[in-house]
Amino acid sequence: MPLGRLAGWLMLAPALALLFGVFLLPIGWFLAGSLTDFASFAEFWEEAQDVLFSGTILRVLLNTNGIGAAVTLLVLVIGYPVSYALSRAKGLVFTAILLCIVLPYFTSTIVRTYAWMVLLGRTGLINQILLGLGLIDAPLELMYNRTGVIIGMTYVLLPYMVLTLFAAMKAVDPRLLQAAEGMGASPATVFFRVFMPLTLHGVIAGVLITFILAIGFFVTPALMGGPDDIMIAMLIEREVELTQNWPAAAMMTIVLLVVTLLLYAVYSRFADREAPR
Amino acid sequence: MSGSVDLDAVTKRYGSETVVAGVSLVIPEGEFFTLLGPSGSGKTTTLSMLAGFVVPDEGRVLLGGQDMTRVPPRGRGLGMVFQNYAIFPHLNVAENVAFPLTVKGASKAEIKARVAEALAMVKLTGFETRYARQLSGGQQQRVALARAIVGHPKVVLMDEPLGALDKNLRYHMQVEIKEIQQRLGMTVIYVTHDQEEALTMSDRIAIMNHGRIAQMGPPREVYENPESSFVASFLGEANLVKVRRDGETVRGPGGAPLVAARGALSANEGLVFVRPEKVKVAAGTAELRPNHLPGQVLHASFLGNIMRYAVSAADGATFFCDVANGAGTEIHRAGDAVTLSWRAEDSRLLGS
Amino acid sequence: MSVTPSPFRLHRRLLLGAALATPALHAGRAQTQGEVIVRTPGGSYDDVMRRFVYDPFTAETGIRVTVVAATAAKLIAMFRANNVELDLIDTGDAQLLTLERLGALAPIAYDRWRWSKPEDITRQVRNPHRVGNFIYASVLAYNTETFRGDNHPKSWADFWDAGKFAGPRMLADMASGSANLEFALLADGVPRDQLYPLDVDRALRVMTRIRPQIRRFWDTGALAAQMLSDREVVLGSIWNGRLQTVIDSNAPLAYTWNEHMIQVQSLGIFKDARNVEGAQRLADFMLQPQIQAQYAKALVFGPTNERAFESYTPEEAARTPGGENSRRTGFYQDVAWWHENRDRVSRTWSRWLLR
Repeated sequence: MPLGRLAGWLMLAPALALLFGVFLLPIGWFLAGSLTDFASFAEFWEEAQDVLFSGTILRVLLNTNGIGAAVTLLVLVIGYPVSYALSRAKGLVFTAILLCIVLPYFTSTIVRTYAWMVLLGRTGLINQILLGLGLIDAPLELMYNRTGVIIGMTYVLLPYMVLTLFAAMKAVDPRLLQAAEGMGASPATVFFRVFMPLTLHGVIAGVLITFILAIGFFVTPALMGGPDDIMIAMLIEREVELTQNWPAAAMMTIVLLVVTLLLYAVYSRFADREAPR
Repeated sequence: MSGSVDLDAVTKRYGSETVVAGVSLVIPEGEFFTLLGPSGSGKTTTLSMLAGFVVPDEGRVLLGGQDMTRVPPRGRGLGMVFQNYAIFPHLNVAENVAFPLTVKGASKAEIKARVAEALAMVKLTGFETRYARQLSGGQQQRVALARAIVGHPKVVLMDEPLGALDKNLRYHMQVEIKEIQQRLGMTVIYVTHDQEEALTMSDRIAIMNHGRIAQMGPPREVYENPESSFVASFLGEANLVKVRRDGETVRGPGGAPLVAARGALSANEGLVFVRPEKVKVAAGTAELRPNHLPGQVLHASFLGNIMRYAVSAADGATFFCDVANGAGTEIHRAGDAVTLSWRAEDSRLLGS
Repeated sequence: MSVTPSPFRLHRRLLLGAALATPALHAGRAQTQGEVIVRTPGGSYDDVMRRFVYDPFTAETGIRVTVVAATAAKLIAMFRANNVELDLIDTGDAQLLTLERLGALAPIAYDRWRWSKPEDITRQVRNPHRVGNFIYASVLAYNTETFRGDNHPKSWADFWDAGKFAGPRMLADMASGSANLEFALLADGVPRDQLYPLDVDRALRVMTRIRPQIRRFWDTGALAAQMLSDREVVLGSIWNGRLQTVIDSNAPLAYTWNEHMIQVQSLGIFKDARNVEGAQRLADFMLQPQIQAQYAKALVFGPTNERAFESYTPEEAARTPGGENSRRTGFYQDVAWWHENRDRVSRTWSRWLLR
């Protein structure tokens, strides 16, 4: 057993070294370098209060969590049936659904987001169709506001939810469903009393991973949002790039990192737990 | 509705393969009926058609005299025990057992009483709040059983319910299942590939092979009087030795004359069937009498309560003989010359 | 053409991670006197510069020119990590000012210039550690189908008059480098020569009046151009180079030179660069009148070498930022003021946006 463990660690070593080298070390350097800029603790405390307890960051955190929650909910509502279809599908249909979900990942986020602009803009396809059909009189504002951010992020994050749920659904023993049916359950009852509870850990894992990813989003809200759709990553970027106030950026980064790690701790509890047997 | 079960010439095909070919069964209420056969013989598919999971391509399924061929499982009111137990991992023991009642919308009080009764019957009182992962294989089996009987169904289907248990536990469960079946007077359709289990528990057995029923009848009849070499060799140990017709006489190895109480040869050649425990082994050379053959002991295996001999006879034929290790029984050794004999009533001629 | 005085912000963001993650991208490369590495805004800007500047420079001196992308943050990170990977920085004047204040830049070797004469360089852009290599402008652009004939906004006061000139609008976000506080103050009646120091609170009060009409505050030149060409907005501020590209592709857009803001792109040289000498020579080469006239015309930017105008036709001069016409109707952005106040303004701006 110790030998097996050692072998496990050895196999992990390259990945760990890479993570350490390109992630932990630079982020440590950045945080340490930024936070040691202060002449005194008092100065640090003053800045910290300004950064962390100003109305701005609270509003941004509220935005971030609100957008994250809305997107996660939407992704779940759309993703669950899609995953279900995927878990039942075979052969060509399976491949087709999977491709539809994964294919967008072969293009860059920026390209995908620009594609949304073409669809959702004031003179975009959707508005033109709706105007052409006479369903609306004036173009709908589908972009450069909260709606645009949520549509764009939902699209980008859907695969994470679908693949997480798919794994959970595939792990459900079909014989349990058949058994339930045999014991007198209607298809709806089988779904709600057996299938759903058995995939609940997948739902929780999917919700957490989606939310974790959502709150760190940058490109989509930056491109598709309106003036006040500022998320925390955008605020961090602004401090890094624009004002070069790295201490402030470092503090916000720590806030985001702590929130993410906390959520991740919850996530790993559900993700590591095997599907109930 | 009574607990009778009928299959009327049901056939099921998957592509070009016929899995079940025109199987007909008439099972009266209260019978313990076993479908026995090797894997791929069609017994599980037959059970699935009874349950309603599989719709037959031809034929009818009748429960209590009513045509249920196209009724989905939930409309059939059957109890079921599944091969893997199919205990819901997200529900505790009580909730699992209550499941068939819950989906029917039974009242809380009724559910509580029935669940307690069913758990008492399978001796699992006190395990209500456990989950499957906290139970042993035998306990899970009992949960599955309790869940199958909780609604007092007239008919219970069991698909290899004891397949995963070790031998000792299996024996105990066989007895308990049989007891419960008799106490509740339910019809049980039982699928197994374990012949001993089938013989112990069943009122009647249907032996299936290649999607057909090879033979059907009470255990003893099927065991003692197999109608084919397949049934003879599938159910228990059998000596099946080549014979040929010589005018009115049937001759076995070395031309020894044989007489069998049952069966006949349809052609000039065939087989004689006799169970190992029906063959007598005596020291010394044979007299020339029907059903007496000279031989030499190849092996003598001590199996505790029995001695098993492998004896070579003329023409390369080998007989297995089980002799009870009773008081004063003569023991033979490898190389000893012996005479094998059996009664005409204990043997049968088979066409091939 | 995707030239922006401030580099393509999206790339900057994506590269930020890379900047922090790969502090030694070029560390292994053997550095010779035969190569100058230049930070540029990228895109088609590089093509134009390659053709009119880098290749002729290589032909003249034998020194190769390699272009790389780097964000402001990456440049600072390089300097702080004591691992400067490039020689010449071609970026917004404000960003160079930040580097200059950090002590990262070598003095421009005006005294050793061979091709350009320091005294020909416009006074405002000739600084000890940075020298302007072109001029661009933020202008008021509008849709000519929405505002036909002469009935178009002609000043920032018009822009603020949503009753007279209705339709969705855009202005620059702080994330583009600076917010359009100057335009707000102009609209409110502050004279061009009395803008600085900016009265931020007053500017934001004026901004509040027009905010319901603002569809989006743009943060990249690409977004600004797209919003105009896609008719997401019918008027707004935009960098003239970006706008010209869209106009050249037949979009129904036009702009007024009135009250535009003149901004400067500059060159700076890392004092710890591996090839300071080569970078000095490239800066010198780039700024000579004929060379500058060629790339500035191609990019619709203004030259910083006054003598470059000698090869301009009157029409070309009229539409050139920093030209005579431009200086009469526009004003220079005060990068020093922005440098001193960017941090404070940025936070005030964020608070105002989220109000």
